[in-house]
Amino acid sequence: MKPILVFLSVQDGRIKRSSLEAMTRAREVASEQGADLHAALLGSKSSELATEASNHGATTIYLLSDPVFDSHLNAPVIAGLEAVIRKSDPRLLVMASTEAVKDVLGSLSVRLDAAVLPDVASFDVAGEEVVCQRPVMAAKMLATTHSSHSLVIVSVRSGSYEATPSPVDATVETVPFVFDAADLGLTIREIVSSAGNTVDLSEARVVVAAGRGVRDEAGRDLVLELASITGAAIGASRAVVETGLFPATAQIGQTGKVVSPDLYFAVGISGAIQHVAGMANSRIIVAINKDADAPIFDVATYGIVGDCFNILPLLNAELKKALA
Amino acid sequence: MNFCVCIKQVPDVQASVQTGRMVLNAYDASALEEALVINQGSEDRIDLVLVGPSSASETIRKALAMGASDATHLVIDEAAALDSHAVAHLLAGHFKDHTYDVILTGKQSQDSDAGLAGSMLAELLGLPYATNAVGLKADGDAMVVTRQGDAGQEIIEISTPCLVTCSNDMNNPRIPALKGIMAAKRKQIATDTPEVPGSRTVITTTAPPPNREPGIKLEGEPEDVVSELVRRLSEEAGVI
Repeated sequence: MKPILVFLSVQDGRIKRSSLEAMTRAREVASEQGADLHAALLGSKSSELATEASNHGATTIYLLSDPVFDSHLNAPVIAGLEAVIRKSDPRLLVMASTEAVKDVLGSLSVRLDAAVLPDVASFDVAGEEVVCQRPVMAAKMLATTHSSHSLVIVSVRSGSYEATPSPVDATVETVPFVFDAADLGLTIREIVSSAGNTVDLSEARVVVAAGRGVRDEAGRDLVLELASITGAAIGASRAVVETGLFPATAQIGQTGKVVSPDLYFAVGISGAIQHVAGMANSRIIVAINKDADAPIFDVATYGIVGDCFNILPLLNAELKKALA
Repeated sequence: MNFCVCIKQVPDVQASVQTGRMVLNAYDASALEEALVINQGSEDRIDLVLVGPSSASETIRKALAMGASDATHLVIDEAAALDSHAVAHLLAGHFKDHTYDVILTGKQSQDSDAGLAGSMLAELLGLPYATNAVGLKADGDAMVVTRQGDAGQEIIEISTPCLVTCSNDMNNPRIPALKGIMAAKRKQIATDTPEVPGSRTVITTTAPPPNREPGIKLEGEPEDVVSELVRRLSEEAGVI
């Protein structure tokens, strides 16, 4: 089979864990199919990350070093990946399903004349077909979808696979790239970072998520304390984001981020279908809610029926002791 | 600004029991709402286009009742089998002889959650685009889009003509008033029956995901319950 090319997303100078997860699965499939594993790195400092790519099994690494990739604009990423595809000539292009990837996926597929299997929970190659399973209907159903198109792009939900290293010797190739941003029709005016959320939600091992039951600033403080004790990223349901207590970047669910940490605390979250769609694949789910009939208890590993204002002070104290 | 909003009819995924009730895709409703707010007090157009079976005209009426000007229905009775690639090509055909300053779409549809058709359409039409908008304003001849990115919000200026895909986090779509509903009933919906392009992906089966192992509710005095939880997280689950 022709190679599998993995596009590695970079954030804050590191390859995202979700990209390494997708890469680990791509490596397994490549090995089963007797195909080479290639990687693409786009960014002003991409050369510094080549070793991490070869540590995860890429035998050829394509580097595009241009500051335009740090600009958060979609058009340069599409042009960059187009240049790498011409070199790599893959059967499959695999990437993590980040917001930046979702931004380019559709237009990239048209540009490359490719088929797309977006936001998959698993993928495989069977003969001529690329097969995947992807959540649909707000993750209430799982659709088995396939494509036998000559080039298929797959984007993988974070947490679908575990990232493991497998070091190899790699050839590093710098791909010439010139991009004229002048006639783009797009300019970045400003980037507003989500302050206070130091751990990246979609990459986090522990997530503490707040819902409507976290009624006010005092409730928020308890949630922030739990996150600080457990080293967690902070998430929120849409309902509590709308109250302004938590930033929109913290929103987990069908419209927000999809997370699958080892440990998920759902604090005062009722468990509406749109929220559950974004967190149901977490390994251990702890639900704290005063309504014993809240649907969140249907997916919780451990449930506590109680008001978070009573439970969290006790839980924070107990966890502090346990983790001291 | 002259807008065209691409809308879709989808099953009501928010309902706990599926009854076959079909609704306007919530993301598309937000896109339309945003266009209505931007064009308030202006004579500029807000047209609609929908790809779907004949029965989807009900959803077009609902969107017209919200305040859109005119609508085109690309009637495809087997629309459920179309993938994003096919839908984007059908829409691109429509926009060959209908031009607008701004094309809006929902960022994804609630049933397939693919999120592809918008940016595919932009590429087919050669338009600059932005996805996952949570805020939208007109600024002279340009649009200013606030989009939700991975690590924060990105504020992008985009020259028209352009395409923007919208999140439902940007507004709460209006409920049509009686006057709008009556006016929408009298409106002519243009129809077209274009040739169905091929799909590149095929759904073979759809089934409920495997159930999670049933969990346990810890009951008793809050102090005891909390100690029990921490003990289980450490000893049983091994996560702390």
